[in-house]
Amino acid sequence: MSGVLVVIEQRAGRVGRTSWEALAAGFRLSAASAVTAVVVGSQIEALAAEIAARPLGKVMRVEHALLAPYTADGFSLALEQLIRAETPDYVVFPHTYQVRDYAPALAARFGQSLIGDVIAIADGPFFTRQLMQGRLNGQYRSAGDGPCFVSVQAGAFPAEASEAAPGAAPAAIATFTPALDPAQIRTRPGEPFRESSQTVDLGSAQRIVSVGRGIKDAANLPLIQDLAAALGAELAASRPICDSGWLPMERQVGSSGQTVAPRLYVAIGISGAIQHLVGMKGSQCIVAINKDPDAPIFEVADYGIAGDLFEVVPALTNAVKSSKT
Amino acid sequence: MMLLPLAPVEPQHFSIGEELLFAVLAVASVYSFWRRFGPILHNILQSKKDPDFHLFPIGKRLRDFVWEVLCQAKVIRQRPLPGIAHAFVFWSFCAFVLVTLNHCATLFGAGFLNPAGPIGRFYFCFAAVFAIACAAGIAGLFVRRFLVRPPWLGKDLSWESGFIALLIFLLMVTYLAAFFVTDAGPAARALWWIHTLTLLAFLPVIPHTKHLHLVLSPITVFLSRGGFSRIPPLAGDEDFGLVAGNDLTQLVSLQAYSCVECGRCTEHCPANNTGKLLNPKEIVLGLRAYLNDCGPASAEPLLGKYNAQEAAFQCTTCGACEFQCPVGIEHLPILIGLRRGAVNTGLWEDQHGAKLFLALERGSNALGLSATERDKFIEKSALPIFDGTQEYCLWLGCMGAYDPKGREIVQDLARLMNHLGTSFGVLRKEKCTGDPVRRLGNDLLFQQLAESNLDALAQSKVKKMISICPHCVRTIQEDWKEYGTPPEIEHHSEFLARHLHQLPAQDQSEKEKIVFHDPCYLGRYRGVYDEPRAVVALAGQLVEAPRSRERSFCCGAGGGLAFLGEESGERVSHVRAEELSATGAQTIAAACPFCNTMFRDALAAKGEGAPQLLDIAQLAARGLPRS
Amino acid sequence: MKILVAIKQVPERDAQIRIGPSGKWIEEADLQFALNEPDAYALEEALQLKEKSAEAGGEVVVVSAGPERVASTLREALAKGADRAIHIVCDDLGERDALGVARLLAAAIQPENPDLVLTGLQSEDLGLGQTGVILAEFLCLPHATLILHVEKTETGLKVKRELEEGWFQFIDLPTPAVLTMQSGGSKLRYATLMGIKRARTKELRQLPAAELGVDTKSTVVLERVALPQKKKSTQLLPGSAKEAAAALVEKLKSEARVL
Repeated sequence: MSGVLVVIEQRAGRVGRTSWEALAAGFRLSAASAVTAVVVGSQIEALAAEIAARPLGKVMRVEHALLAPYTADGFSLALEQLIRAETPDYVVFPHTYQVRDYAPALAARFGQSLIGDVIAIADGPFFTRQLMQGRLNGQYRSAGDGPCFVSVQAGAFPAEASEAAPGAAPAAIATFTPALDPAQIRTRPGEPFRESSQTVDLGSAQRIVSVGRGIKDAANLPLIQDLAAALGAELAASRPICDSGWLPMERQVGSSGQTVAPRLYVAIGISGAIQHLVGMKGSQCIVAINKDPDAPIFEVADYGIAGDLFEVVPALTNAVKSSKT
Repeated sequence: MMLLPLAPVEPQHFSIGEELLFAVLAVASVYSFWRRFGPILHNILQSKKDPDFHLFPIGKRLRDFVWEVLCQAKVIRQRPLPGIAHAFVFWSFCAFVLVTLNHCATLFGAGFLNPAGPIGRFYFCFAAVFAIACAAGIAGLFVRRFLVRPPWLGKDLSWESGFIALLIFLLMVTYLAAFFVTDAGPAARALWWIHTLTLLAFLPVIPHTKHLHLVLSPITVFLSRGGFSRIPPLAGDEDFGLVAGNDLTQLVSLQAYSCVECGRCTEHCPANNTGKLLNPKEIVLGLRAYLNDCGPASAEPLLGKYNAQEAAFQCTTCGACEFQCPVGIEHLPILIGLRRGAVNTGLWEDQHGAKLFLALERGSNALGLSATERDKFIEKSALPIFDGTQEYCLWLGCMGAYDPKGREIVQDLARLMNHLGTSFGVLRKEKCTGDPVRRLGNDLLFQQLAESNLDALAQSKVKKMISICPHCVRTIQEDWKEYGTPPEIEHHSEFLARHLHQLPAQDQSEKEKIVFHDPCYLGRYRGVYDEPRAVVALAGQLVEAPRSRERSFCCGAGGGLAFLGEESGERVSHVRAEELSATGAQTIAAACPFCNTMFRDALAAKGEGAPQLLDIAQLAARGLPRS
Repeated sequence: MKILVAIKQVPERDAQIRIGPSGKWIEEADLQFALNEPDAYALEEALQLKEKSAEAGGEVVVVSAGPERVASTLREALAKGADRAIHIVCDDLGERDALGVARLLAAAIQPENPDLVLTGLQSEDLGLGQTGVILAEFLCLPHATLILHVEKTETGLKVKRELEEGWFQFIDLPTPAVLTMQSGGSKLRYATLMGIKRARTKELRQLPAAELGVDTKSTVVLERVALPQKKKSTQLLPGSAKEAAAALVEKLKSEARVL
């Protein structure tokens, strides 16, 4: 057994950032020349070429008509065959929804447990995972006979570490055709779709910009809407704003409105009364902008700006816009 | 000179025919009475026995009976003029017992009040005074109901009330007229017969109308549960509260039949006053209609055709209804009983209610916040931890531990207690007292919270407690008794009032007007009205709201409603905030963190010019040197 | 339809985290335990499927592995409406890896021959999110993860799966199958007094782990645990509006990684 296999995930012909991060994690486990990138699907030549530009050993194209669209059965069977053929020490994945769907079963076929959602790899190797909802870290090591299966958390490893070096020769690409039978694919997935954007679904929004009484007048809302647009965020409000009719009731966050837990929650001109806090305390990252540095909202915020929102919000909108270019 | 007549003139002799006629009519009247009253009595007696009813100690029952029934105290207090009119009607009925017995006895020549003798003459005059008052009173009440038409008597005119008023009037008038008849001739006989027929007509009318209260309400007042908002324990494994007719107990049935439809309960209901479906009078009458239609053994749900589940969950448990019911109906155990029936069986599907219950199933507080927030607050405020040596355990409660305003109140109380040299400590861990789930009818959760807390308090050797929240105080002192022996607990207003002379004086030259809002759970539930006022008077000039003390108008948070979703209609808190602001006071003084939070939103909506809102602890602490 | 729901009892979310003497796990002595919330959603889905189904004779069975204290969580599940419970009594659950735990569950579930097996997406303590998938592997059943809604069809099931960034997809699969349920798909029911009283008469079968005869060797070992670096205090960004805004965007990109 030797070498590292890194499974690159693609969607509609594009490779996600998290896969490049997984590649970077692979480099932590072995020399680049011993790293093989694996891409699974159907008609993925161009993709394989893109991956081959990265500084690694080789690229395996696992090709089969039954591998598009993604199914757990298809990927598990195909990768199982590949792994048996390549006999790597490690198999590294990005910790995506798709990987969570099949990698544990794949590892089980080798009598192994997947070490999932790893945030750091220390010499040993020891793999660090978060436990108790982020309040505890655990260090794991592999103790089995088969390959060690690892998936890495988004943002834990720098994608830059696996960037293509300009002028370097592309890696070799090999094609692997697994033996698959339609009867082995037991699930039939439909086309991905998005929900209609008419109803406001704050509950599933990843980013929310929320406005409170500090806005003083409905006429000032466009300021906030600009920021929300720049951030690609949903607009929400504390109760007094909805009570005054400046925004519809369905945008209310709080004990008598919706409970939200987005990745980013920006509270603008909101003091932080308990009725509002209970509706957004579960947010991953809370930013507060309020002119009162003693406002209770700052107690729960990760980042805060104590200043005049009429100055800070436009500045923030500009800063966000320029960061995107 | 014509002497004032001293007694009514009675016919001297009645024929056999008249005696027979009377006998027949009397039998018909009694039979007719019993035909309606019998089934009612049956419905009441066939209902389940009340599990925690004790006749003894009987002292309080007798006192309440004398005060509320004989003195008509509650009838008069809240509506003085109509109340006195009714009191006279009632006292007349009492005075007329002997007169009426004598009246019927004269038919058989067995009259025992001799119109010529001193006792007889005195008694007839005595009764006459009442008759005049009664006639005047009933005429006034008639005018009020049919001409003035106050809203809480209902939109529809009650013809039966009019008919009964007529009968009563006729009884009094025929009695008085008999004084002016010159001899025991046909006029006297006619009057006697009219009076008798009116009596015999009156008897069967009693059980067919709300005048059943004549028979029942003295009993209802006497057989009260023995305390304000006394929630009975559940009895056995199959008891989940008031689900169907077969859950109604004898007390509830008795109370349902005692309702006089006066509407005092609805008049003061904060939900009803703000356009909600809930109408306390209709809840009681709904139960009565249920009993009449389905009886006490039925499995038909109580919340459905006869009363709406929605209405039952709009109650803030403020108690204004039960507090002033003149016939002894206890609305709160009924409403909470109905809620229990819906919640304990999982029939109540409310998204916010479920969220509250789930938060308390898995966590320690009603707000669903992490207990580490409470730990951080204790650390930042440098509050001492209770270790058994301090005099008081300061109970933070959910609001005191997690609400920013509640925390400020706790901090000021801590400063005051330090200034007074009273030792105290806070518990490392607290669980919600369970007040909102108790009032919403979730007995499973309440039992878990009460037992867990009682255990923790016993282990920490807590003897005396103090709290800023009247809900915590009530739940700990009374409701936890069902599961153990709670330590004594007082509200911070009671503590501060005792130490009034030691609290620092404040500069009153500003003549700041402060209006005090009586919290429901401190005022009506605990009878504490003067202590917080004494504290307010330290800080400024006390003014009263139009509805204050036992008539205080709820802030809208009680009964678990602070945790439920949007209200329909006007917001109770806004109505009350408006009333408090309209007094012209610069400051509204609160004594409950829930009232505080409700008014904060309401006043913020008013914008500039709204009075400031402070707890009495914050007012008292103003005089402390800034540390 | 017979639905098997695998649930886990985990430390309460509010629990104080202190490292135990061995350094390999937290101190459990003072902890309070509760039903893993994602499993509550799985249970809710199972109960709703049974209640909505027109057929009679549907059954929801809950199974959980762990020490004696797990029984209270199983009873809670019975109180919420499950029909039967199986308690795999096992005092060394923490020593087993995901594979080992799934083996135990599979051994208990296999003889039941369920039509559907549900688990929560992941546990609140270890957060592996693998048990359901490995279970499907051992039971040789098709599976799908991150499911929000389940509907019965002529051929089996049609489920709604959550994808990243606000996308969803429907999947058709035959029964029997295994599904891992995402939280928030339906409204959780609260425990009721009536539920608890009725639960007393429902079957809770105890199954000692040793009787299941599964391999206990772990392929992955948790060497030690440690508290993460404290960065939880609020960072107030100073300077002019422009400076603070720029600093904030930087932090959100590099530190919080939400941009």
